[in-house]
Amino acid sequence: MSAAGLERPQVVVHAQQSLNYTVFDCKWVPRSARLLCLGSAPRGTGVLQLYELRGGRLLLLSEIEKAKPIKCATFGAASLQQRHLATGDFAGSLSIWNLEAPEIPVYSVKGHKEIINSIDGVGGLGIGEGAPEIVTGSRDGTVKVWDPRQKETPVANMEPAQGESKRDCWTVAFGNAYNQEERVVCAGYDNGDIKLFDLRTMSLRWETNIKNGVCSVEFDRKDVNMNKLVATSLEGKFHVFDMRTQHPTKGFASVSEKAHKSTIWQVRHLPQNRDVFMTSGGAGSLHLWKYEYPAQRSKKDSEGAEMGVAGSVSLLQNVTLSTQPISSLDWSPDKKGLCVCGAFDQTVRVLIVTKLNKV
Amino acid sequence: MKDKITCLLFVVPAAVFLLSRMKSSKTNKEIRKTYHGITVNGISMTKKEKIFIATREKEKGNEAFASGDYVEAVTYYARSISILPTAAAYNNKAQAEIKLQDWDSALQDCEKVLDMEPSNVKALLRRATVYNQLKNYQAAMKDLNAVLCIEPENAVAKKNLLEIEKKLKELKPGYKTEGRGKRILIQDIEDSEGDEEGGENAEVCGRSSRDKKIVLPVRGEAALGKAEMGNAQRKFHSKGGGSKLEDRGTQKQKESTESGLKKGTEEKKSQKTDHEGEANGYLNSNQTSESPEAGQSSRSHGAGSLSAGAAHSTSLPPAAAKLKSEGNELFKSGQFGEAVPKYSEAIEYVISVGERSPDDLSILYSNRAACYLKEGNCSDCVQDCNRALELQPFSLKPLLRRAMAYESMERYRQAYVDYKTVLQIDSSIQAANDSVNRITKTLIDQDGSSWREKLPPIPVVPIAAQLNRWDGGNFTSEVKPKSPTDINKEEQLQMNREKAEEKFRTLKNEGNDFVKKGKYDEAVNKYSECLKLNTKDCTIYTNRALCYLKLHKYEEAKQDCDHVLQIEDCNIKAFYRRALAYKGLQSYQASVDDLKKVLLIDPNVLEAKKELEEITQLLSLGGVAVADCQQKQRKKITIQEVTDEQEEGQLETAEDVVTDNLSSKEAVQKCVPSRTCEKLTISEPSNAYDFGQIVNAVNASKDQSACADLLTITDPKKLPVLLSNKLEGEIFLIFIQSLAHYILGKDPGLVYQHLFYLSKAERFKVVLALLSKNEKEQVQRLFDLLTENQNHQYSLEELDSLKKVYEL
Repeated sequence: MSAAGLERPQVVVHAQQSLNYTVFDCKWVPRSARLLCLGSAPRGTGVLQLYELRGGRLLLLSEIEKAKPIKCATFGAASLQQRHLATGDFAGSLSIWNLEAPEIPVYSVKGHKEIINSIDGVGGLGIGEGAPEIVTGSRDGTVKVWDPRQKETPVANMEPAQGESKRDCWTVAFGNAYNQEERVVCAGYDNGDIKLFDLRTMSLRWETNIKNGVCSVEFDRKDVNMNKLVATSLEGKFHVFDMRTQHPTKGFASVSEKAHKSTIWQVRHLPQNRDVFMTSGGAGSLHLWKYEYPAQRSKKDSEGAEMGVAGSVSLLQNVTLSTQPISSLDWSPDKKGLCVCGAFDQTVRVLIVTKLNKV
Repeated sequence: MKDKITCLLFVVPAAVFLLSRMKSSKTNKEIRKTYHGITVNGISMTKKEKIFIATREKEKGNEAFASGDYVEAVTYYARSISILPTAAAYNNKAQAEIKLQDWDSALQDCEKVLDMEPSNVKALLRRATVYNQLKNYQAAMKDLNAVLCIEPENAVAKKNLLEIEKKLKELKPGYKTEGRGKRILIQDIEDSEGDEEGGENAEVCGRSSRDKKIVLPVRGEAALGKAEMGNAQRKFHSKGGGSKLEDRGTQKQKESTESGLKKGTEEKKSQKTDHEGEANGYLNSNQTSESPEAGQSSRSHGAGSLSAGAAHSTSLPPAAAKLKSEGNELFKSGQFGEAVPKYSEAIEYVISVGERSPDDLSILYSNRAACYLKEGNCSDCVQDCNRALELQPFSLKPLLRRAMAYESMERYRQAYVDYKTVLQIDSSIQAANDSVNRITKTLIDQDGSSWREKLPPIPVVPIAAQLNRWDGGNFTSEVKPKSPTDINKEEQLQMNREKAEEKFRTLKNEGNDFVKKGKYDEAVNKYSECLKLNTKDCTIYTNRALCYLKLHKYEEAKQDCDHVLQIEDCNIKAFYRRALAYKGLQSYQASVDDLKKVLLIDPNVLEAKKELEEITQLLSLGGVAVADCQQKQRKKITIQEVTDEQEEGQLETAEDVVTDNLSSKEAVQKCVPSRTCEKLTISEPSNAYDFGQIVNAVNASKDQSACADLLTITDPKKLPVLLSNKLEGEIFLIFIQSLAHYILGKDPGLVYQHLFYLSKAERFKVVLALLSKNEKEQVQRLFDLLTENQNHQYSLEELDSLKKVYEL
């Protein structure tokens, strides 16, 4: 490899672990070297495994089996001391677990009629102001926001009007939680719709369609004034929206990039640098990107209304790890460049991305 | 797609939502902040949590800073500080505030950092920047010095320190008086020389090097020069400045000399009218001024200038001419002292006569300057050179002499400038080159690496002056006197040349435009006109060759290419186009040679490769032409005129004409044959590969006659071998057709033989099975015809059995 090639960040597989079940999600436990893998066992039960990274190997600490396969999980609404895990399962239940005592959930609600595809949390881990809240998106077409301190009913429910067909909600994300009042939820649907719900005014703030199913959306930061949103799609494209300036008619400016030849399953921003993000592709590849801001982030249109100006994205590195899709991806919130990904080849890999402080 | 989920938001009872929110804000006491979110209350946090949150907020600030949102960055830094004050956060906040030009806040933050870490380099640097902006230079210097104490190599600090020192000196009145004192010192020098670049000097030096003592003299004198210059300029412009032709350099010179004139002598004043009159004419007169040699060639010299004078109506009065030649004689014999008064007399005489002879006057001054230089009277030399130059801007000799004088006066910068000017006019003067090198060394020793910055600007020599020089150079560099007619012609030529160049360019562009539009005839005309103006431009030839090619005038195209290749023996375009021309002329071998050359020069030319392939094929097939029937001959003739593009055109029209009439169709097929039919000069195939090639070609062009030729010369017995396993429906069909249309009439026996052996070929059964009804009918018709034309070569029984083989 040339010297110039070495200047770029490198993606190195640090450890990998084969699993005997299909892994749907993996998450670092905050403030630790442990990570959680969860998924579906062959006999149709849910599995939750806790691993510790020790000496370049993943050591299984504990394994819990639940009745239903678990699709997604988040620590986003948990405090740093408690670190309770919120999960969504195939039956549509939202549960919160104390990993020290995983026998019964500390909170459980049958929130959706069908599988919960995606979950996100805010207000915990020192990320985001205001109450801890969890948002779930389900195949039943609804997006519900939950406060773990409130039993049974969601604090907000976003669903299609009566008589309208329901779309499969594939992904949800919190954002704009820079003070106690503001908070938005972004949801992506199988028909390419992206909807931005403002939880303060309880209104649909913006919507667009990217023509292909939206597999993953994420704000670059949940707890800043909405800055950027990345949405990935079924056919291998992703869109970066500049969320700072909303034009009355045109909405947000965006730049799109066709990266993978197949579905982009996940996008995750580096917790230590919001302009760097990684996408995981259907062909087992990972792409590391950097967003470059334009010289001027907004300009006046002919009517004098402010409109955003999209920047550009540049590929920093790509690597192919597997022949199967990489369905989940999580950066360590504590160690820059450390990340974990789970693929459908039933393997979980711990990766190290180097030279991230030089990009 | 605009979805069917018109997301009506079902707020599960709105009251509940609101309630829940209120509840949450009550219960969540851990993090509370003001409405604007500037501060975060972290009282109840543990130390670790505080560090974590503070770092997060700082990182958010950094990100905002990176994206250019400094206000947001300051907010996040402030939040970070409100949780846990750290030097880094303060430092970053200060930087963001500097970006926002919020100097006071930045200063406060820097001070907070320095309270925590007294030797924080970044904070010191930033505070210095703030102080600098607040015009507290002393404090800024103190900080920068502190930085340099910690990091002696800190480049930023050094740079800033220098800048601030400069500013300080500007402000300090003490420096000014110093400057004034110097100026007086220099004044007499100034008087003596009337520095040309004074005005520029003043500006440059005033800006950049006020604090450098070395430069002070220059500045001083320049400042004075500038003052005078100002007057001169006004005067100059009020006179109407009638010299638009002159470039900036000459104007400057005029200015400077006029500033001299202002204090100057009577004689100069009397000259003034002359200058103005001649200002426009310096272009012409420049040439003559170059020719006369100072003192080496007195006689011829006088004559030269005299004759020149006659031509220009600027004759040197005989008396003056005599004085001059005497001076030259004296100079030659080394009696410089005596030569001076002769020249002076001559000058006075010329001036008193008041005739318009600036060039001669210039020569006289220049000659006197030479004498002064030899005598070592440098200041007078400079003065005379200045006068000569004001009469004849950018003439070589006075410039050189002035440069030498400056050098011996140790005024290296001026000397450098003059030498450089000389080199612009004629870069081949060795003395000037040597001197420039020498002076460069001296100046580097004197001023360090930034010596160039202190130079007076080097005047840009107008192209005309350079051109004159070059033209002169063509004749001789040891200038010989030229006859006035020569000079006139030369001027004319020069003018013509410029005009011609202009015209040439426009013509070429027009030609190119025509090519783009496909009007090759017009383009050829334009290019031909171009070539009348300039016969050396290869591109014109290659372009015209292209046009000729398009017009199918191959001979002309070839000639053009030949011409180019004579001038430029590896012009790839020319080779390629000549190859095409040869192809058009059907000299394929030559074409192949040229294409090979093209590929030798650049192996990546795809077109050439393609052509080469094609032509090689033509060559191999064309070489063995078997002319067996008149039809073919006729075809050949048509082909000769056909070129790639015409073919297409013909094809189209031909297809338009196609009717159901079979004969017309045949006619079409005869004239359609394009380059493939050239190949179809069929030779007897020796092996299956050759046969396959020809069959493919035949098949591609659907050329039944060629196919017939092929079948005629092919031994039917070999057919199964030659066909190998390549028999296909299309081939089969064209065989049948050509047998029916061409061969049957001549030789039914051969048809039978072919049909017989065809049935023995591999894949015959398969092909037969795949024939369509229509195609079968064609076969049937052929057999019917065979039955009708039955002869001794085959019996009807045989035919019947063969029919069975053909499943009829």
